Amino acid sequence: MSRLITRTLILVACACWVFPLGAGRYALAGDGSTPPGIKEYKPNISTQEYEKRYKAVYGKFTEQMAQEGNPADFMLDDGKDLFGKVEGAAGKSCASCHGANGEKLKGVAATYPKYDPELKGIDTVALQINRCRKEQMGAPELKYESDPQLALELYVKSLSNGVPINVSIAGPAKPFYEAGKAFYYKRYGQFNFSCALCHVKYAGHMIRANLLSNNRHHADHWPSYRLKWGATGSLQRRFRGCNKNVRQKPEPFQSETYRNLELYLTYQANGVPIEVPGFRM
Amino acid sequence: MASVGKIKIRVPNTIKKGDIIPVQVLVSHPMETGMRKNKDGSVIPAYYINDVDVFYGNDKITHCDWTIAVSANPFITFYVKADKAAPIRIVYKDIKGGVYEQAVQISPQ
Amino acid sequence: MKQKDMGPALTRRTFIKSAGAACAMLFVAGSLPSLVRPATAAPNEKNINDVLKKQFGNKNVTMSHVDIKAPIIAENGAVVPITITSDLPMRSDDYVKKINVYAEGNLEPYVASIDLTPANGKAEFAMRIKMRKTSNVRVVLETSKGRLYGAAKAVKVTIGGCGG
Repeated sequence: MSRLITRTLILVACACWVFPLGAGRYALAGDGSTPPGIKEYKPNISTQEYEKRYKAVYGKFTEQMAQEGNPADFMLDDGKDLFGKVEGAAGKSCASCHGANGEKLKGVAATYPKYDPELKGIDTVALQINRCRKEQMGAPELKYESDPQLALELYVKSLSNGVPINVSIAGPAKPFYEAGKAFYYKRYGQFNFSCALCHVKYAGHMIRANLLSNNRHHADHWPSYRLKWGATGSLQRRFRGCNKNVRQKPEPFQSETYRNLELYLTYQANGVPIEVPGFRM
Repeated sequence: MASVGKIKIRVPNTIKKGDIIPVQVLVSHPMETGMRKNKDGSVIPAYYINDVDVFYGNDKITHCDWTIAVSANPFITFYVKADKAAPIRIVYKDIKGGVYEQAVQISPQ
Repeated sequence: MKQKDMGPALTRRTFIKSAGAACAMLFVAGSLPSLVRPATAAPNEKNINDVLKKQFGNKNVTMSHVDIKAPIIAENGAVVPITITSDLPMRSDDYVKKINVYAEGNLEPYVASIDLTPANGKAEFAMRIKMRKTSNVRVVLETSKGRLYGAAKAVKVTIGGCGG
């Protein structure tokens, strides 16, 4: 009998743990919604405080290197050439619709990722470029993370340089945003880490020799040259790397999960001007 | 990086005569050490820039002797005393015989 | 009571004694680098002192007038930005002729040499170098009058880290 009572008690305790009753008391990142079944964290430190710590730990070397010479600039030039290159059955180039210097695309990348009714999902810049190539130009899709794909994405995004990110999560985008958020907060992998654990709860702490970053500036500078890779890569490559580090099976590029996650992360950077190509550790 | 030997030179926009100006040069090059292996286990042969010359007009003003321990996509900053209107020309030579060069005109006011 | 007082005193004394002995051991070991080094160094690693001796002979290197700017922690040893500055004059009769750069932990410590001329106006040079492991970056300047100036700066190279 007493054993039964203990078991019931344990069950109730577990239920409380999984579905926290007090989730509402956490002041959250400004969207005022909590997908069911996840536990949100209160940001450990403010963005300003994090930036102070970053300067104290790493100094200004990365910033300085970015200003002096970013190897991704060569890729940007390649992207500009690709933009004007005629390809495919329709005999068109990107420039034939969007203007020789991409005038019509100015500021467009700042609104991506966004909901697309045809896809019934979230559309990213990289995906949209490939859809455009396929549907409008009749050209083959570019392989994700290949040099031409990154170059073109880099150029299209660079047309919005300096424009503050303005991603909308209203209307049909809302469920996808919440799915992205759920992924961000859910624990995964052999190490049982969630994105939010490091980048919200413990942001600003050291994880061995690295400073855990605050998620405010995570999505504003991709594709970016990374010192660690010694190469240019996209945000989704970074997702895959993070997933591998917590011993989770990474998803393929532009999978639904990663597109939702990109929407969630870009929304966190709303108001931050786009700055590509980036240069990061 | 698909392309090798592309050069970007950056000098200040306005230069006064007699100024000591910084010149920043970035070149795309893999700078392979000859110690790395690719996925099937064979050694990637060494391929790096070992000789850099900088000319200001006709005078050689700086020369660099490099080894494998210079980073990929080498970046350098050096200074020049801008006392004449002449091009700054930078010439890179790698161990496979490649020669890459570019010039930028300096016109001090 | 008395015994209780003596207990800690005795251990402290023995502790100091043994610590002193350990220090002495370390001192002896440190003064015989030729005996200690082969065990820790990689088989084909060169000692920076040998390299410098081979290049400059027994000339005296003054450790002043040179400044190295480098990050304290380099996230990727393959790209370590360094800036070498010197307040030595760049006149046509007395100038910095050559900058030699070494990374002590590399199998071949010699990284690069840069020949400057008075037309540079300023003895400053920035570049990005590869470093195999946490060690000193060392710079030796040669002036046209044949004097040597040097500086060294420690850089921590972290391997791995976040976001593979």
